[in-house]
Amino acid sequence: MKLDEKQIDQLYLFTRQHFVEYYDLQTELVDHLANAIEAQWQLAPNRSFDEALQIEFKKFGIFGFSDVVQERHVALEKKYRKIVWSHFKTFFRLPQIIGTFSAVGILYLILKISIHREIVFISILTLLLVFFFVELVGNAKKRKKKNEETGKKWLFNEILNGYGQGSGFMFLPLQTFIQFRNFFNDDLILLGGSFLLISLALIHYIVLVIIPSKAQSYLKETYPEYEFAN
Amino acid sequence: MYKKFMYVCKANEAISISKTIIMKNSQLYKGSLNTIIMKLLEEKGRMYGYEITQKVKEITQGDLNITEGALYPALHKLEAEGLLDVELEKVDNRLRKYYKLTEKGTTETVNRLAELEDFIKNMQSIVNPKLSY
Repeated sequence: MKLDEKQIDQLYLFTRQHFVEYYDLQTELVDHLANAIEAQWQLAPNRSFDEALQIEFKKFGIFGFSDVVQERHVALEKKYRKIVWSHFKTFFRLPQIIGTFSAVGILYLILKISIHREIVFISILTLLLVFFFVELVGNAKKRKKKNEETGKKWLFNEILNGYGQGSGFMFLPLQTFIQFRNFFNDDLILLGGSFLLISLALIHYIVLVIIPSKAQSYLKETYPEYEFAN
Repeated sequence: MYKKFMYVCKANEAISISKTIIMKNSQLYKGSLNTIIMKLLEEKGRMYGYEITQKVKEITQGDLNITEGALYPALHKLEAEGLLDVELEKVDNRLRKYYKLTEKGTTETVNRLAELEDFIKNMQSIVNPKLSY
């Protein structure tokens, strides 16, 4: 005996009710539960759908699907970090490396010749922060609209478009860095600070602009079901 | 333990298994879960999650039971590491996700199986040392 479409929909609802909000994971769990219920019906044809479902759900343990969701999150974040790193490395290869080091050099010179270099440095940092929040809010709005249109949330899409939140913490070490007493007087530290600031700007650009713009191709590569569902 | 691993890894030969080998300590198996999955995929080409749990149960005649809470995280981790690839197919009103080894995964399977066999041999030597006089 096979599950009908209505029962499959019930399984999707069941996974949502048990805190699996992402369609990619729901699909995999629905198929798993459906297979297991059908296997039960071969041995006990009179068992009800609900009873068979509860038996299968118990096999996931006391935390239900949460372990599966959490581990999937960890695995995809790891994949995401690899993508960010691969983009970052391209800025240190020819020909982009010329632009990267030119930017570091120009920033260093601007800071060096500025009378109020502290103000210049802090202004650039503030601009980066503003850019970060504007892009983050914009990406979140686009993502929400898309989710509402399709009715489906994809875990990797959330990470691809929202992980920029994590890069905000990168301002912290920089703020610590500028607490150095001789920061604005020592040439070497000034050069290091310029390099750090440019690297930070690059990471923000990758996380907030490059990756979201390629999100569709990353999603198709990660989820074969993406094309089925959209 | 040696017998159990060999039964899992050499699926086709696993027709009989001693029922006295009971999974008493799942910690011993946890480290080998990925290798078990990869070995099965190497033999079968592609498999879906439920099929993997059932295959392991069948090969070990129910002695080794991969729980759902352990299987999917392992599959997702292997996928994120680029060792597995996924394919999707519509089967019986629903979508089914199949896993298969990538090229990197196939190479890694050979390495991991060699490591596992070494481990089993070493454990065997420790557990049942051949005394020499």
